[in-house]
Amino acid sequence: MAGADSPSAALRRRDLCARGIRLVGKMRSDVVDLLDAYVEQQGLDASASVAAVEGVPLAAVERWDEQTGTQRLLENLAAYRAFRALLAQMLEEQREQLGEADAALGRALAAVLLQVSAFAYHLEELLRLESRGPPSEEEEDGPPPQPQGLFEQKLRGLGVLRELAQWAVRSARDLRQLAKPGPGASSAPSSAESP
Amino acid sequence: DGYVQYERVGADVTMKCGSMDWDAAVIWTVNGTDINESRLNGSYLVLKNVDLAQSGQYACYEGSSWHLKYQTSLRVGTPPREPVLMCRSNNYPKGFYCSWHLPTPTFIPNIFNISVIHGTKEMVCEKDAVPKNRCHITYLQVFSTVKYKVTLTVTNALGKNFTTLTFDEFAIVKPDPPESVVAKPVPNNPRRLEVSWQNPSSWPDPESFPLKFFLRYRPLILDQWQHVELSDGTSHTITDAYAGKEYIIQVAAKDNDIGTWSDWSVAVHATPWTEEPKHLTTEAQITETTSASTSSFMAPPTTKICDKGAVVGSGAVAVCWTAGLAMATYSVLFI
Repeated sequence: MAGADSPSAALRRRDLCARGIRLVGKMRSDVVDLLDAYVEQQGLDASASVAAVEGVPLAAVERWDEQTGTQRLLENLAAYRAFRALLAQMLEEQREQLGEADAALGRALAAVLLQVSAFAYHLEELLRLESRGPPSEEEEDGPPPQPQGLFEQKLRGLGVLRELAQWAVRSARDLRQLAKPGPGASSAPSSAESP
Repeated sequence: DGYVQYERVGADVTMKCGSMDWDAAVIWTVNGTDINESRLNGSYLVLKNVDLAQSGQYACYEGSSWHLKYQTSLRVGTPPREPVLMCRSNNYPKGFYCSWHLPTPTFIPNIFNISVIHGTKEMVCEKDAVPKNRCHITYLQVFSTVKYKVTLTVTNALGKNFTTLTFDEFAIVKPDPPESVVAKPVPNNPRRLEVSWQNPSSWPDPESFPLKFFLRYRPLILDQWQHVELSDGTSHTITDAYAGKEYIIQVAAKDNDIGTWSDWSVAVHATPWTEEPKHLTTEAQITETTSASTSSFMAPPTTKICDKGAVVGSGAVAVCWTAGLAMATYSVLFI
C-alpha cells in the first residue's frame, strides 16, 4: 500500500475528496428539502429553537482552521455514523405512522440515510489512505433511548436534521482543506497519533 | 466655570443667574450678544419652546459691575430613537462585524454600547477606529446552530433606546463584491465580450469556502438585464452581445452554500469588437495578387463592388463588369 504522502496516495486523496464534496453537496441540498417537508408535515415552527439533543453530534467546532486532516476525518466519521443510527431510528418511527404524506417523508428520509451511509464509507476510505484506518464501530455509543412523547420525537427529528444540514456544510469545507496540496493538509500532528 | 445643560427640543427652559436674587439687575448674553430684556422674568432667563438654533453659550452678569455670575453651555437636542443595527460576515469563517446608526440625529453626544451573546456566552465586540459606529468579533467556534443575539443600546443626556438582532451564523454571511472586474472585446468576434474578475480580497479562504458568481449585463440602450450564474471560475465569455453596442456589466458573489449575495460590483463598460471599415480596393482584389493593382484602383464611394458570385440587378452587374475591366487595365499597366 502506498504511503500516505506518496504521489499516488495524494491523487487518490484528492479524488476521494472531490467525490466526497459532490456527495455531501447533494446530501445537503436533500437535507434542506427534507427539513422543509419535515417541518410542514410535523406541524412545527421552522424558527423554533431546539435545545441540543442528546446523542446528536454538534457540527460547531473551535479553531476549525487549526485542525489536522486526521482530526477532521475522525470527527466527521463519528458524526455520520451517529447520524446513520439516528436517521434509521427516525425512519422506524416514521414507518409506524400511516398516511400517504408520511410515506413520501419516509422515502426522503431513507434517501438521506443512504447518502449518509455512503459518505461515512467515503470517510473510512480516506482514513485508510491516511494509514490510520477507521475506528471500529463498537467504539461509538448507540443512539439514545427513545423520547417518550410524539412531540418530543418530532422536536428531536428537527434537531437531527438541522444538525445534519450544518454538518454537510462543514464536511465540504473539511474535505476542501484536506484536498489542499502541501504539508499539513492531511498529516497528523507530530505530538500525537504517529504510529 | 460653566457646565453643559442639555434640553429637549420644544422644552421651556428657565435659567437662574447663579445665586442672584430674583429682583437683581442682571444682563444675560448668548454667545457674547446681549439678550433682550423681554426674555427675562426678573433675573431669570426664560426660553420657551427651545429649538436647535438656541444652543449656545449663555452667561449672566451683575448689572452694575459686570461681574460674571453664571454661565452654561445650552445644548438643545432630542432623546435617541431606536437605532438601526446591521451585522454581517464578509470574511467567513473568521468573524463578523456589526454597524449601526441613528435614524435621525439627536444633535447632542450619544454613547453606544453593544453586547453579543452566543448561547449563554457573552462575547466582546471590538470597536473599530474607523468607521466609528462599528465593531468586529472573531468567531470562537464555527458551524454552530446556536443563534447570536446582539443588543445595541444608545444613551444620551435626554434618554435611552435600544434594538436587538438575533441571527444564525450562516444567515449573515455576505461577501464583498468581486474586485478588478474587466471586460474586453474578443478580436474578430462581434458578439462576444470576455469578462474576468477576482475574489473579494476580504474573503479569507476561497479554496475552502469557494464563491459562486452572478453576472449581469445589458447594452446601455436597453433596460433589461441578462443574467448568468457561474458555479466556479472567475471569468465568463458573453456570446450574445449586440454587435457594436456598448455594454454595462456587473458581477456579484456568494458562498456556494450559505448566506446571501454580495452587492453588485463596480460597473464596467465594453463594446464588442467591430470590423474596421475597409477601402474598396481591398474588396476588389478577387483574382489579382499584384500589390500595385491593389493600391492603384480607388472606386468612388458610391460605386458598389459586388461580391464574387453574387447575384444582383442588371445595373449592379454592369458596375461589376466595369470595375473588373478597369482593374484588369490597371494591372496590365503596372506589371
